[in-house]
Amino acid sequence: MADEREIGGRESEEVCPAPGRREAIQALAGGLAATVAVAAATALSAPPTEPAPRNGRGIQYGMVIDVRRCIGCHACTVACKSEFDVPVGENRSWVEYVEKGEYPYVGRSFLPRLCNHCSIPPCVYVCPTNATYKRPQDGAVVVDVGLCIGCKYCIQACPYEARFLNPITGAADKCDFCLHRVSKGVAPACVSTCVGGARIFGDVSDPESEISKLIASERVTVLRGEMGTLPNVYYIAADHTDSIDARRPEVRQVEVDNHRRRKHWR
Amino acid sequence: MDLMIRRREFLKIGTAAATVSAAALKPAIAREAREFKPGGAGYSPLSGTGREAVATACAQCVSRCPAIGYVEEGRMVKVEGQPASIRTAGKLCARGQASVNLIYDPDRILYPLRRAGKRGEGKWQRISWKEALDDLAGRLKKLRDAGQPEKFMFHHGWISASADRLINEVFLPTYGTGTVVNQTCLGQGARQAAFQLTWGAHEDNWDFANTRFVLNFGANVLEAHTNHVALARILATGIAERRFRIVTFDVRMSNTAAKSNAWIPIKPGTDLAVALAMGNVVMNEGLFRGEGEAFLEFCKVTPRNDATVAEKVEALKAHLAPYTPEWAEPISGVPARTIRDLAIEFATAKPACVLSSRAVSSNYNGVDTERAILLLAAITGNIDNPGGRCRAVVPEWSYPKGPQDRPPTRRLEILNGFDGAVSLPINGVGHQVLKMIKDGRAGRPEVYLWYIYNPVYANGEVGENIDVLKDEALIPFTVAVTPFYDESAALADLILPDATYLERYDFEDGVSPSQVPEYYLRQPLVPPLGEARDFKDVCCELAERLGIPLGFKTGEEFVSKACQMTPEVADKAGGFRGLTKAGVWHDPGAKPAYYGYRREISNEEFKTSFLTEGVIFDEEMGVYWNWKKAGVASEAEARRVGYRRTPGAHKGYEAQLMRERIFIGFRPDRINKTGYFELYSAVLAERGLPPLPTYRPVPEHAEMRAGDLVLTTYKVNVQTLSTTQNCKWLTEIYFDNAARIHPTTAREHGIGDGDRVRIKSKVGEIETTAKWSHSIVPGIVAISTHAGRWEYGRYASKRAPFGVDDAPFDRLKWWPTNGTHPNWVIPNSPEPVSGQQRWGDVVVTLTKA
Ligand code: SF4
Ligand code: SF4
Repeated sequence: MADEREIGGRESEEVCPAPGRREAIQALAGGLAATVAVAAATALSAPPTEPAPRNGRGIQYGMVIDVRRCIGCHACTVACKSEFDVPVGENRSWVEYVEKGEYPYVGRSFLPRLCNHCSIPPCVYVCPTNATYKRPQDGAVVVDVGLCIGCKYCIQACPYEARFLNPITGAADKCDFCLHRVSKGVAPACVSTCVGGARIFGDVSDPESEISKLIASERVTVLRGEMGTLPNVYYIAADHTDSIDARRPEVRQVEVDNHRRRKHWR
Repeated sequence: MDLMIRRREFLKIGTAAATVSAAALKPAIAREAREFKPGGAGYSPLSGTGREAVATACAQCVSRCPAIGYVEEGRMVKVEGQPASIRTAGKLCARGQASVNLIYDPDRILYPLRRAGKRGEGKWQRISWKEALDDLAGRLKKLRDAGQPEKFMFHHGWISASADRLINEVFLPTYGTGTVVNQTCLGQGARQAAFQLTWGAHEDNWDFANTRFVLNFGANVLEAHTNHVALARILATGIAERRFRIVTFDVRMSNTAAKSNAWIPIKPGTDLAVALAMGNVVMNEGLFRGEGEAFLEFCKVTPRNDATVAEKVEALKAHLAPYTPEWAEPISGVPARTIRDLAIEFATAKPACVLSSRAVSSNYNGVDTERAILLLAAITGNIDNPGGRCRAVVPEWSYPKGPQDRPPTRRLEILNGFDGAVSLPINGVGHQVLKMIKDGRAGRPEVYLWYIYNPVYANGEVGENIDVLKDEALIPFTVAVTPFYDESAALADLILPDATYLERYDFEDGVSPSQVPEYYLRQPLVPPLGEARDFKDVCCELAERLGIPLGFKTGEEFVSKACQMTPEVADKAGGFRGLTKAGVWHDPGAKPAYYGYRREISNEEFKTSFLTEGVIFDEEMGVYWNWKKAGVASEAEARRVGYRRTPGAHKGYEAQLMRERIFIGFRPDRINKTGYFELYSAVLAERGLPPLPTYRPVPEHAEMRAGDLVLTTYKVNVQTLSTTQNCKWLTEIYFDNAARIHPTTAREHGIGDGDRVRIKSKVGEIETTAKWSHSIVPGIVAISTHAGRWEYGRYASKRAPFGVDDAPFDRLKWWPTNGTHPNWVIPNSPEPVSGQQRWGDVVVTLTKA
């Protein structure tokens, strides 16, 4: 199993695509079933006293979003905008509002969103130029702006609407886990400013990391698990009510809203 | 046990919708990834190179959070939180994160402008600073030479601590004008007046870190507050980790209400009834025993200062007797059972914290609402204690006071509203100023200068504001000091381009949630863009030109001198240099300030050190005060006139005699009150007002006809009042403020979801879009105060008269509307005690457009 996790080795530290990346991706695709098993094992039964050997195991960056702590403040949304000067109308990170019920029995919850940095990333498979790839050294899914031809296949392929075509660069764009910060030991911009302290970032394949301990001890979910994409962004206490529920006739009052939705999906 | 069961029942059957998500889950346990630094360093995402980090402070709102700005090749690229701050722990909110948008707003005013056409016509001529200041200084000099400095009127919004000291306490008094107007009356006026009447402090702090129960009257801590990030982060954590329960009364489900264990809908303007009824329960069920009883020692409850606790208890019981929960139910719409249960929960949580806000005090009965809430905290012993409501702790800056040989200032009597309308305008009634100028009987200014303020847009009755400002016969010369072309600047004769807050030096004094003061500075990340200048510098130059040099030449020098003069900063924080480098400083050994009022003057101390030069005892009030510090001419005069009647006597307050013992007590701030926590206010009694908090319904609500609605305004988490709409990253998230209406109410008025509607009041009408909402009480219409701009640049409005092309970004602006400003229909109407603007109880009609 450990072999399967070690997608493509982790010697390479460079951000640009490296030779041999294709192979890594194939290995990854082949290892689907095994990876699922590992994820389950990590979550459920990793013995705390005996950490799995780290050598030979790839880093997989991930994030836990503890929705109990989220106050829907959008500090993360805007921190991300300013970190990357993301053009107006697009977002790498955003917060959905889910409002349910009829007066006075109403509730509102928040769902911070970003790229899931999937272990089985559909965007990677459809990219005709290898511009989108999963970094072997840390599992982040990134876009090489130089190689991207703006064909939007990846944007269509992503089940999470995490991608957009950057109107300034003309390339596909999305969250990259702030690798320029993380590589210097600083937390991603959204994590750093999160007013509620809802975001925990780290290496999900290191059982000693805080994020792994959290995943192990809490009931976590991922978005659209049925898609088999194996997201690396986990949620605690997320309300997964979505716009599909909002359209169900028997569900009387559900509203899923955010500015990104207003622009793109209304 | 009994209580637990009742509490559970209440959650099930109350009118409140318990937000189930919080209740059904297990609490979060504190766990933070230690593998990554939380911040404090920045890198370019393109090149990976480090960015220059400059410690500074945000000023997108009045919270003024410590921050770090990042600069890349001379350009400001990012603002983040200051991890070393004990207030914010390195967090900034969305507004703070969008600060970059301000500096580089493509519609920013970069040069002094002089009106070229008619006032308000929108024709401008670029002039030099020399021309601009020649003109302004010339006018100011003329007024001063003529012995009429008061005809220079200065009006400001939220300004930094150093700008307040430099301008309000040094420059303007040296010049000689006291015609100075602030905007307290638009937000915190009623709360502050209630505080000043009751416990002297003018700000409070909510000790979420130590509390066990939070009772919230309308505060939207998680979205907007005068100490926003500092409080929101601790409240959010407390809720997630289930350290306490929180219950929120509000007319709409704010995000704070949504995150609370229960949201209790309440009719607008009736929180006072609920607070009084809770007081009734606490007194009748004996829940004041213990901490509450002990605190009553320090309270004034009757006209007599030497009443026993038993007498005070009887007086409170008698006063609150009519205010039963059953009485409050039809008034407020909150079931009596809910009121009773919450009163019990609040009184028995020990400690518990009660919150309140502008939302409940910007009504006809605002001051008494706040006083009733303070009463509730007092009789349960939740004042100035760990976990309760505390007097705010802020850093105490010393600063150069300027020339002292100045004549007394003169002022126009237009600051406190019309005669008799407001009993106790301690903080001014700024929203009446334009009306009073129009009226003219109390005189008119010749020069009206506003700074970090937008009189047209920020007040009610926008139409009248425009008419008055446009009229040259009423105000001959108007000056706007602003970086941005807003609705008021459009009506100025002269625009002075101000530096944004990331281009200037300031010292600041935000409230510490942990009751330990934090000293911090703001410093420029980049030099002011174009020819913009910090207005503090401009004031220094004006003073030089007027021949009244202030003793320092720039804002920076003023701030640096303040650092030298403030002992903590000079001795321990490394002075100006040390503080600009570190950004923030607090004394790590300092103990949180609680129970300060309990400090007793022992017999020993009384004999040896207490009775210093000038300290005398006032029999009537039981106050020890220093007549010298109060500025009285002689001891004989002080004794003859007495503490109560000597103007400014409170400045000399030393301690309070409380039945044979002397305590520091609650030091007065603006009025000559005793050192007691005055539930019974002699100051109000003197003015013929009820001395104990008393229910008075909103008169206009009693006269409502069928179909009339109450309009209420509110704030959201990504905008600040009228200041942030030019930030594109914020406005793309929040650009529209459709009128929110309960579906039943909407149907009664024949209004569908999304219909265009007309909202009318006695002062105006607006057209907007209706949005059905289940998270709002029936019978009201709620419109946020953040939209509907007709100037302020391309992102806030559709106009950009001074804009530079920002292609290819311009075509990316996608939002189709900029909403509708509610203030066109809100009268400028003072709460009768403090003069607080009444935002929350306006009666309107609603029809399909
Ligand atoms: S910054 Fe944190 S608390 Fe605020 S919306 Fe984002 S995830 Fe939620
Ligand atoms: S709370 Fe106010 S001062 Fe603090 S970051 Fe937000 S806007 Fe800035």
